[in-house]
Order: sequence, then structure tokens, then C-alpha cells
Amino acid sequence: MHCAPTPTLTPFLASSVSLIGTGQTSFGEHWDKGLRTLMEEAVHAALEDAPCTELDVDFVVVANMLAERVSAQAHLGAIASSLLPHRPPAIRVEAACASGSVAVHTALSLLESNRAQTVLVLGVEKMTDVRNEEIAAALMGAADSEKESPSGLTFPGIFGLIARRYMEEYGLTREDLSLVSARHHANAASNPFAQFQSPIPARVISESTLVADPLRLLDCSPVSDGAAACLLSTKFEGPVRIAASQVCTDTLSITERPTITSFAATREAAQRAFAEAQISPIDIAHVELHDCFSIAALLSVEDLGFAAPGEGIRRYRERSTAPTFNASGGLKACGHPVGATGVKQINDVAKQLKASGSRWGLAHNFGGAGATCGIHILEYAS
Amino acid sequence: MSTIRHPAAAARAQREHRSKMQEGTILSFTTIAHPPEGFPQRQRTVALIELHDGTKALGEMLTSTPDNLCIGQQVKPHRRLSHITAQGLRVYAICYEAVAGKVAPLRVFPGYILSLTGPSGVGKTTVCTLLSTKIGEYAQRVPIVTTREPKPHDGDEYAYVTAREFHMLRKRGDIIAATRIPSTTEERWYGYRSQDIEGIWKSGKIPIVITEMGLLQELAGHYGRRSILSCGLLPPGKSKRVMLSHLLHRLRSRGRDSEASIAERMQNAEKDLLFFEEQRHLFDDLIINEDLERVLDLLKGRILALQEG
Repeated sequence: MHCAPTPTLTPFLASSVSLIGTGQTSFGEHWDKGLRTLMEEAVHAALEDAPCTELDVDFVVVANMLAERVSAQAHLGAIASSLLPHRPPAIRVEAACASGSVAVHTALSLLESNRAQTVLVLGVEKMTDVRNEEIAAALMGAADSEKESPSGLTFPGIFGLIARRYMEEYGLTREDLSLVSARHHANAASNPFAQFQSPIPARVISESTLVADPLRLLDCSPVSDGAAACLLSTKFEGPVRIAASQVCTDTLSITERPTITSFAATREAAQRAFAEAQISPIDIAHVELHDCFSIAALLSVEDLGFAAPGEGIRRYRERSTAPTFNASGGLKACGHPVGATGVKQINDVAKQLKASGSRWGLAHNFGGAGATCGIHILEYAS
Repeated sequence: MSTIRHPAAAARAQREHRSKMQEGTILSFTTIAHPPEGFPQRQRTVALIELHDGTKALGEMLTSTPDNLCIGQQVKPHRRLSHITAQGLRVYAICYEAVAGKVAPLRVFPGYILSLTGPSGVGKTTVCTLLSTKIGEYAQRVPIVTTREPKPHDGDEYAYVTAREFHMLRKRGDIIAATRIPSTTEERWYGYRSQDIEGIWKSGKIPIVITEMGLLQELAGHYGRRSILSCGLLPPGKSKRVMLSHLLHRLRSRGRDSEASIAERMQNAEKDLLFFEEQRHLFDDLIINEDLERVLDLLKGRILALQEG
């Protein structure tokens, strides 16, 4: 058998890719909109924002986790493609809550290989059509169905375990957790796309219904419908460039990890992304991080290198403005339509960079209990 | 709709019961207000347990007062009916019950230990000696406390004690891992003292230990599985038979053991090889000792990576 010589792997982006257009639907309960309508709205908004026309789209990558189970709909690539007049080739990727960032990572590979010069990335999720119990069971697909689900755990349960352990190890209090959610809710007050746009005081969060002790209802991101789209291009230039794109993984089950108070996939992806962009955490002005639960925000702040282990909460107590964390409101307040979240985070970081004129921003998106982590660093040239 | 809907999946999960049927320690726990459909619709407390063999498992806690639970508490396992599926399948699960009064202190990560496990004759001592001379500023061998008679070929790897002394040290908790190697000629105990291991940590180095199944499990139990960078050393060969003949050849050619002792070592080696297959989770690396230089380079890399991390 003849074997071609192994080419050197390129762990970093080989070409300069611009983020030329972003768009999204508002997140929330859209009882009047199905998957297709949500997708249409987000694609339209992204194309409106971009300097290109719909005919410039060479490829579509769709991110989605639950369509089969909730909407009895697979084959989302074909639906997405049919929204464009020339029906470009399309694929769908799934990595639970990390689907969005993994879709962007996939799109970048298509651009680098020159299979496409402009790619439309579209994240979409329709979650409110079924009962909460069904959504909870469907979301457990992101955990280990043999090692975790049989114990009767739910996703809030998994993060409940993480939160309790973290509180024991680092002395975090219930009030600290509420502070995190309260801050994200306060940030969302100025975001017209957010599911919840009114501030919620920490006291109300501490007194909300117990879901998975110590986590309460207002520690958890909500069930939402929504779509987000972005256009990435090597042909058209824009002020925002993708400076780093990394995807790392960990064991699916938390029972196979040495610790549950830190996610190795986040640590590794962050390390690689900073190396790729040739910057360090101190250079970042805006961060959108994956706060599916309040405790997840603290783990992420630490794993990304913005605080030492156990000290993530200080960033919230000190009202960190350099960098800002979840200025959009994050998953907690914006809503978390699973497949759309990763794309929406990148869009939001780009918006924040343009608004503040800062140079570097970071989007952090993970799936399950941190089994897949996608990190993107964006650079804005004013 | 239950989370395990397929009888086959449920059956596979049941196969895991044997491995979960162990005592352990609570690493964390949570009380879920609304368990998934298919499970009894009452509050359900689920705990993450570190089992005796160092693996972890999730299971329901048999308690009506979750407020009394705490991290570090010891638990014992029970097999109980978990739920009945829509198809009428009775699903059993391993649940855990807290043992009153027994609370282990929260384990702080103490540091890394490099452990070499392998059958007699595979080259553990050689690798260990060469490592601690080649990268002596980073790693140091931990002396093995043993009750066996000194032999002329022994290096400085042993600290000899009488059987009585050994058991006193163990009872006082100075020896934190001990094992008895089956032998017809004498009562042979081997163990490690915590003061030796912790002394090496204090000097900023990584302790290297030579272990077998018992020592490895006890070390993992004492310092936490995470502390042990566990390397299995295997003789070259594709089948067990070839591996064993390699070992036999090495044991004979080093000319230190009598034929009777070699026969005994071979018997133990066969058990050791089985252990690698059954307890794969106890090893971070399985290394074939075919080329000594490569094995040393690999382990050196591991130790330097630990030192940097």
C-alpha cells in the first residue's frame, strides 16, 4: 500500500478570515415561528449586515442539536440551503450546546481549504414546542447516557454537583452565585434580543425555586427558541477578523475526570487560542462566556485564565470592566437556544468590539458539562 | 419517556453494577426537585462517589434527609429497584447509603507520584534506577519498606524491617500502602511510608514508586487517583504466551533467582497481565518495554511535563 508523506498539521488558521455580517432573531418563546422561519429571519439579518449578496454564499453550515426530537425534522442543511436562491451546498454539525462554535470552526476549515470563499454559519434551535420534561430528557443527550443518565440526573443536577463541590472547595456562598446571575440579567437590560430584559436582584435569585440543590431556577439558563447567523469570508473584508479558532474535548462523563470544579477542554482551548492569536488574557476587552448555569460562569472565568482557581467570583464582586463578561446578558438572560448560542456569542463579541473600539474579544462556548469547548478570538481593526 | 428507553441499553447498564457495588466517599451531591420522566416523581438525591478502587460513579443516595449529608462522608452500596420502564422492564440500580459518623477530610491535591507497575522481570527496577539517576533533580525513587531478607543483588532501593515492625508501622498509619506477595518460602510484605513520599514532594521532586496491583490501589486510595501518574510496563509480545516467555527468558538470564522462585514469579506475572486487562482504568499509560531508551525518554517527558505543569 502506498502512503503519502504526512504533511505537517497546521493547528492555527492559515488564512485571514473576516466576519462580514451578523444577524439573529430575538431569543425567547416564539410560538408563531418554526425552525424554517427562525432560520430565514437570522439569515436575512446577517445578509443585510454584510457587504455581499446572498449569491456570494458558497457554503452553509448549520448548527443544531434537537430538531429531530423536538420538531421531527432532520436534514437541516437542505432547509438552510433552500433559503438562498442558488441553493449552495450545506452541512449540519452537532456538538450539543457547543454546536454553534463547532459550526464556525467547520466553516473556517472550508474557507482555509478554499472550498468556499464565503460561508454562512447558521445556528438554530426550537425548544418550546414540547413539554419541559421532554426538553430536559432531550438535553440529557449531551451527557453520558450510560454513566450519567441512569442515576436519574438532569443537567441542572450535573451542575448542582459541580456547584456544591466548588462551594466546598473554595467557600463560595449562595449569595455569590446569585450575584453572577444578577449581573448577567442587569447587562441584558440594554439588549433588545434578550429573552429577559429586566434586571433581577440577587435576593430574588436566592429565593427562587430550588431546582438541583444548591442551584435555583434563576441560576439556570432558560429554554428558548432562536436563531443566529454570521457570514465568514476570505473574499470580502471587514473590520472584524477571526484571530483564533480552537475546539477541544474532554471525557463525556464527569465520572471519568480528575476534578469537576474545572473544565480541561476550556483550559486547553483557551491556551491554544491565546497562542494562536499571540495575545494573553490581559489583552481581551470583551468576553462572552458560556453561563448555562451561574456556576459555569465562574468555572469559565477561571479556566479561561481571567482569575485563579476559586477566585472567579472576585471578577463579579469587583464589577470587572476589563474585560467585560457577558455584556449581552449571556445565556442566562439572553436565552439559550442550544445550537444558536455559539454563533450568537461571536456576533455579540463583534458588536461589542465595534461599539467600544477595542481590539480583542473572546467567545467561549461549551457543550454538555464541558466535554466539547469551542473558543474564538476576534480582532477588530478600527 | 424514561431516559433509558431500550431494554438492551438498560441491560448493558446493569452489567456495570458489579463495578459500582463498592464502598466509597461522597465527592458531591445534589437534590433534584424534578427527576427525569420515568423515575419516581419525588425529590431525588444523586451523589458523585469516589469508589474504593479509585473509579467514580453516580448513584442515588438512600436518604430522606439530604441536609444531613456532607462531602467526604463514607457510603456503602445497595442494589435497589430504580424504576419500571413504559415497556414494563424493571430497572435496578446501585444506590448508596451514608455510613453514619464517618467523614473523610476534604482531600487536597498533594502532588504527583509516578508509579511503575508490571510483572516481575519486565524491568521496573532498571527503569526506576536509570530515571532517578538521569533526571535526579526532578524525580527520586521512594524506598520500599520490606520484610524480606536482604539479597546480595539488592541495591539501595529497600529499607528492611522485621514483620513485627512492618505491621506496627502500618497500624500507626506510617505505611500508607502495603501488599503481601505470595511466596511459599517466606512471608514477604512490601510497603511505602508517607514520610518518604511527602519528603520528596517537599524537596520539589516527583516520587517514583514501583507498585503492583495492591500497592497501586492503596496509593490511589490514600492520595487520590488523580495524584498517581500510573504507568504499566509490559514485556514485548502480541500474545500473553509470548509476553510470558519473554519474562521467563529475562528472569533466567539475570541469574538471580532459583528455579523455584522463578516459577513462583511466573505464576504472579500471569495474574499481573490479567490485571492490566481488567483494571485498565488504573493506568494512564501502558508502555511496552522493548527498547529501554525509548521507555526512558517517554517517562522523562512525562515527569518534565508534570514538573512544568
